[in-house]
Formats: sequence, structure tokens, C-alpha cells
Amino acid sequence: MKRASRSFVGAKAAGITLAVIALTLLPSLTSSNYFLGVAVSGLLMTVAAAALNLVYGFAGLLSFAQLGFWGVGAYCSAIIVMDAGGSFWSGVLVAAVVNALLGLAFGFPILRTRTHAFVVATITFALLCNLVARDWISVTRGPLGIPGLPAPYLLGYEFDRSARFYYIALGYAVLALCFLYALGTSRIGLTLKAIKQNEPLAQSQGVAPLPYKLAAFTVAAVITGMAGAIFAFHLRVVDPLIFDFYYMQTFLIIVIIGGTGSFWGVVIAGGAMVILPEVLRFSNDLRMVIYGAILVAAMIGMPRGVAGWMEDRRLASLRARLR
Amino acid sequence: MTPLLEVTNLMKAFRGVRAVDGASFSVQPGSITGLIGPNGSGKSTAIDCISGFQRANSGSVHLEGRAITGLPPQQIARSGLTRTFQDVRVYDGYSVLENLLVVAKPFETTSWADAFLRNAKFREAEREAQGRARDFIDLVGLTKLIDAPALILSYGQKKLLAFAAAMMSNPRIVVLDEPVAGVNPTRVNEVAEIVRRANQAGTTFLVIEHNVEFITSLCDHVIVFDRGRKLTEGPPLEVHRDPLVLDAYLGVEPGHEPNLVRAG
Amino acid sequence: MTVDPTYALELILNGLMLGLLYALIAVGLALIFGVLQVVNFAHGELMMLGSFTMSLVLPFFGLSYWPSLAVAVIITAVFGAAFYEFLLSRVGQGEFERSILITLGLSMVLLYGAQYIFTATPRMVDTSWGFDGIEIGAIRMTWTRIVAAGVALAAFAGLYSLLRWTQIGRAMRAVAQNRDAALMVGLKPRTVSRNAVTLAAALCGLAGGALAPIQLVQPGMGQPIIFKAFALVIIGGLGNIPGAIVTSLTLGMLESWIGGFYDIVWQEGSVFVIMIVVIILRPEGLFHRGGIRVG
Repeated sequence: MKRASRSFVGAKAAGITLAVIALTLLPSLTSSNYFLGVAVSGLLMTVAAAALNLVYGFAGLLSFAQLGFWGVGAYCSAIIVMDAGGSFWSGVLVAAVVNALLGLAFGFPILRTRTHAFVVATITFALLCNLVARDWISVTRGPLGIPGLPAPYLLGYEFDRSARFYYIALGYAVLALCFLYALGTSRIGLTLKAIKQNEPLAQSQGVAPLPYKLAAFTVAAVITGMAGAIFAFHLRVVDPLIFDFYYMQTFLIIVIIGGTGSFWGVVIAGGAMVILPEVLRFSNDLRMVIYGAILVAAMIGMPRGVAGWMEDRRLASLRARLR
Repeated sequence: MTPLLEVTNLMKAFRGVRAVDGASFSVQPGSITGLIGPNGSGKSTAIDCISGFQRANSGSVHLEGRAITGLPPQQIARSGLTRTFQDVRVYDGYSVLENLLVVAKPFETTSWADAFLRNAKFREAEREAQGRARDFIDLVGLTKLIDAPALILSYGQKKLLAFAAAMMSNPRIVVLDEPVAGVNPTRVNEVAEIVRRANQAGTTFLVIEHNVEFITSLCDHVIVFDRGRKLTEGPPLEVHRDPLVLDAYLGVEPGHEPNLVRAG
Repeated sequence: MTVDPTYALELILNGLMLGLLYALIAVGLALIFGVLQVVNFAHGELMMLGSFTMSLVLPFFGLSYWPSLAVAVIITAVFGAAFYEFLLSRVGQGEFERSILITLGLSMVLLYGAQYIFTATPRMVDTSWGFDGIEIGAIRMTWTRIVAAGVALAAFAGLYSLLRWTQIGRAMRAVAQNRDAALMVGLKPRTVSRNAVTLAAALCGLAGGALAPIQLVQPGMGQPIIFKAFALVIIGGLGNIPGAIVTSLTLGMLESWIGGFYDIVWQEGSVFVIMIVVIILRPEGLFHRGGIRVG
């Protein structure tokens, strides 16, 4: 957390307000369903990336389990609507609850493990979820998945058009991001980052790391699960491909480029990652090749992302001034 | 007087090598007690066991009469014993003030909900914590650098910051692990003065150090460690002249069995 | 349950072969982890590289097996060496997250790159042996499978000798056991690390090349194998080679048997569950020890 000058804060506030206004007016600015679809994807994936940022950037846990929660959320909402006759809204709620329980149950034992073991365990979790989705046919309908998800419905209003569904995604994104921002800038966020920087030091100061890590892990699980639940209804179908590593890689790229631990860096990167491919019109495969190359380059040159790089420059100039 | 900290028969072995071998000593409340001994005598391991960073194989540690043996470090800290580290540890990514505010949370009466909502109760506790932090920053003389990122502090300044952080929770006893190692000799007296002032305000100190002058000027009581246990103890001047102590530091007299003790 | 003996034998032999190839990959992974402390996410893609090279080079040699395999191994090894030299070596020792992410980036480039260039369509790879094989009683075994198993065994023998008796191998074991001590006696970490990566890549190339005529070759072929390899390395203990081998063979057998009698479904799931349980209970793996043990 840095002390920003008055003008910078003012500019920031203006920028945010402008962005929110632009996003709210987007459906009026474009009639293309395609672009609105891209915007929906972008919003939801940015939320998932922000949640990953909470676990990785704040708590220091490189957790691939996020992919699992994303997909579980998607299946939850689909199953609730298609097989249990519930509403879309209850589906999202169930996704939240299920992921909360899953996050706690899985997080509790696994958060005690170190580094490599933790990463591999979370990957395994995601793979297990994929497996269950593929093979627990009685519940998930197996590889064919659950197609034909209807549009959400609220008090007689049907969110059947892209423009209307867009507002669900936008509304959730704003809520989730505000929550994550509030959490990140609170004392809880401060403590999480302390644990990430130097866990033994934090312990010697009376901080118990496990509750904090578990909280971050579970919050990220819930937020990502709900994003996935909404995403399913954007795709109008859920199948095991929701667990494709492509999603995890996208979340990861957004966090890495934006800067681990930086809220705004991740949000902006999320936007860029969505807009750029559309502007540059790449094939999906080539885009992922470029993401991979960016990841490699970032790890060598800018491991803490754009935000981290900016922070380093600020520190360098500070150091120079002190001499 | 009941000792503030009582260590009884502490034993810690690493793959068969006894770094701490039946160590027993106590620290009186209100004192500044020194802990000296040659390299490899088991001081650091003993401190790690006391502060919860290592699990002792046997023996016990009592703080104000309560057993703290085997507790995790965070619980020991909350019970009133904090420490600094030999490899000076601070949060590089935080400012001096933020470094201290991190410590404040566990000792406050606020909950996560309070922290998240930033309600009145939390803001009140936050104000109090900020005030306390500034007091300690003033105590160690880092006032001008209060908002500077810890990353750019000098080695000595980081040590002062670590000291302030260890004091932040108003502990009963602070264990200082080589507080003036690597510090500019001209600054050593400043550090001693800071410790003295903190002690006068009521905090007990257990100081591990090699710097003879520092120990002699600061401590009212010194415990000497050798080969994993207490060799002797007493006022600093006596201890430094004790032939047993000199032997321990300089070599072993013929007839004494060498005991392989793991360094650290 | 009465088991047809020939069927059982087929399953065993098939399991052994699978296990041996998994083991090649797992051992490479363990090697890289032991020496560099890096979990190589691109390991499966290195194998895929070997398979693709094999499939592309075979026509040039008139479908002759051995030269093609040699080329596959060499190309993959060189690629591994280059990756280490220019990219991986820039990532510091203790920064395991950076190493995970950089290898993840490489895997993305390789996998999606292959998909972009060659499309995701699986390809069949033919060798000069075709589907010829030998028959022992009622059991039929194709040459490609027999040779694959033989090659794997030879590779293990070679690897064992290398690690046990050569300077290069001893250097790797030294660095894996105690990096600082190894540095102090003058071993150059960069050289040792490069050797380890090159060797592991060569093993992947070998496994990939041997697997190409047996399985369908496609860009994503490395993915399921790599996750199983993780499982093996975790269960066997990161950096522990005999552990990795034993677990691989067991897994190969297990898969073969379970696949033969039960729903293929359960085998993958059970492996993952076992892996998670092992990670929780014994993060260092079942055959715990630091460094690379050779025996």
C-alpha cells in the first residue's frame, strides 16, 4: 500500500468512474452480440483472475484448484436448473455454497503442505473434478454434458438477449471486484501479504497463518465458483471442457501480467487480455502460443507483472533520491 | 521471585546430534539477561525451541508459570514472548509503519468482520495501534523513515525496525537474537540505550550476543552456554573472567571429553 | 474369478511396457527436480516433441526405426539443452513459482504451437515393421512394443551406469543431495543443471519416439501422461529415482489390469486420490529421501 499523491488519486477515481459508465452503456454502444459475448467472458474471467490473485498474489499460494472451483460452479448451476428445477439464481447460490464447503474441506488438509506438493495437489484436485465430470454420468451426464441451458428468469423478466445477460455478468463482476478490493485493502489483506512475504516472521508476531490462508482459499473458491456458474449460462452448455486448462492458463496470464498482488493491475490486464485478441484477430491456438511466450518472457523479465515493474521503478527513484 | 521464563532440561537432537542437551536456566522478570557461548553451543537452537520454531525432544519451557513447550510460534507470541531473528527479518514490501501495523491485528480485540467493514470499533483500535506504532518508531529513532519502504533501509535500520516490531505487542519478554551483530560499532551504544529504555518501561529481555562490551554494559545477569547446556551464570564481569568460560571459548583442556555439537 | 492365462500374460506384458515408458518420463522429471528443484510442467510436451519428431522423420529414413528414433532423441535433447541455457537458467534457485510458470509457459507454446501447425488431428505413425510381431503361443506382440520395452530397459541400464559410475552422473547426485557442498567442491551448477535437463529431455524424446508407433500421436498426448508422471514422482518422492521407477511400474501394471477387468474410469481417479492422500500424509513422498538415490 503506497501513499499516492492527491492528483493521482483523483485521476484514478475519474478513470474508474469513466470505465464503469462505459461498461454500463456498452450494450447501447454496440448491437453486436458477438462483442457483448466477448465482454461477458472478459468480465467473468477477470473476476476469476482477481480471485486467483487473492490466493496467489496476496496469500502466496499458487493454486490450480481455482480451475476446479470454476467448473464445479458451472456444473452446480446447470444441474440445479436442469435437473432440480431451480432458478438460475438459486443455481448460483448453490454453486457458492458447494464451493465454500469444497474449499474448506480441501483447503484444510492441503494448505499445510509446502510449495511443490501444494501446487501438484491443487492440479490433481482440478483433474479429479474433470474426471468426476466426465465419469459420474448419473449426475453430470458425462462427456456430452448438459446442453440447452435456458436464459435466467426473474419476476417475469427474461434475460434472453445478450444485452440483458450482459448486465448479470456486469453486476456480478462489480460486486465481486468491490468485495475483493475491500478485502485486499483491509487489515486482512495486509496480514495475508505479510504471511506471503515472510511466514515465520508473521508467526513470531502472533499471526496464525492457516486461518488466513484457508479464508483466502475459500473466498477465492466461492467467487470463482459463482463466476463459473454464471459463465455456464453464457455458454448455454456445460461439459467437461469447462475444466480445460485453457481457462486456468488464462486466469494465470492475467494475474502474472497485471502483477501478483496488485488489484488494479489484474483488473486492467483482464480487460486487455479480452480486448487484444479480438483486436488482433488471432486463431485460438496462436493466441495461446503467444500467452505462453508472454508467460516465459514475464518470468524472465517482469516476474511481478506490470504493476510490480512500476513499483520497482518507483523504489529505484526513491533510493536515488535518498542518496 | 518466580522466574518469568523457566527452561527445564531442554533437549533437542538433530539426527542423533544433541544441539541442546539438558539445558536448564531461568530469566527473572524485569531483567536484561544475556545468553552467551561459543559457536555451536546450542544457543540458537535453544531459542528456537523456546520461541516455538523448533520442537524440543524433551524438557519444558514455562512462561509466567504457564507451559509453552511445543506450542506454535504464534501462540507463544500471544502468550507474551516475542523474538527477533539473527538474519534480520522485516517485510520488505511494506513501509516501516505498515511493518508494525501487521503485528497489531492479532493483539487487538477486533474480528475479521470488524476489519473488513472498517466499523467504528475497528477504526478506534486502528487509531490506538497507529499511536503505539509511532511511539515505538520514535523509540528506535526511525521517525523520519516512517513511510519509507523497508526494502531501502540499511542493515542497522532494519534491525531497529525488527526490534520495534517485536515490542509492538507489548510482550512480557523479548528474545533478541544477536541484535548488534554486523551493526556499526558507533551505533552499538545507541542500541544498548534503546534496550535499556524499553526495559525501564517494564519489558524483560533475553539477549544472545557475542559482543562482550555490549553484554557487559547492558546485562545485569549472564548465562553461559556450552555444548548444549548451561555452563555457568552470574554477573557479566564475573562470568567473563571465569576460567571455565574462557576454556569453552578458546579450547578444551586435556582430560575433557569433546562432545560433537552441531553448530547453531 | 477364472482368468484366461494368455489374457493375463498379455496384460502383464502390456503393463510392463507401459510402466517402463512412464518410468522413463517420471525419472526425467525426478532428475530435473532433484538437480534444479524445478517441477517441469513442459515435460509431457517434450515427450510429445519426441513423438512428433519421430512421426515426421520416419518417412525420410524410409520408415526405418532406429535412425528415426535417434533423431527424435537428439532433437528433443538439444531442445531441452537450449531451453535450459537460454531461459530456465535465468530463474533463480529458490524461486519455485517462477520455474513452474516458466515451464508452464513453455508447455503452452509447445502444445498450442503443435496444434496450430499440425492441427489437433491424431496421426498414425508407421514404421518399417508395420504390425509385424512375434507369436508366443496365443499371445501376439508387435515388434514396436517389444522394442519399446527393450529400449526403455536399455535406457535404464545406461542411466544407472551414468549416475553411478560417471563423473557427470556423480555430479548430478551431488548437487541434488547438497547444492552448497557441491558448489564448494567446485562443481559448476550451470553445467550440472544443463546436463540434467538435457538428459531428462533425451529420455522424454526416447519415450516419445518409442511411443509414436504404438499410440496415436497428437499435440495433447503429453498432458495425461504428465499428470500421471507427477503422481508417480510425488508418491515415489520428488527426486527419488528408484521410487519413481517402482511406482511407475506398479502404475503401469495397475492400469493394465484394472483397464482389462474394470471400467477404465476408476484407474485414473484412484491414482489421483492416492496421490492427494500421499501428499497430505507424507509430503515428501513414500520413499522419502533428499537428493537422487540410485540404489
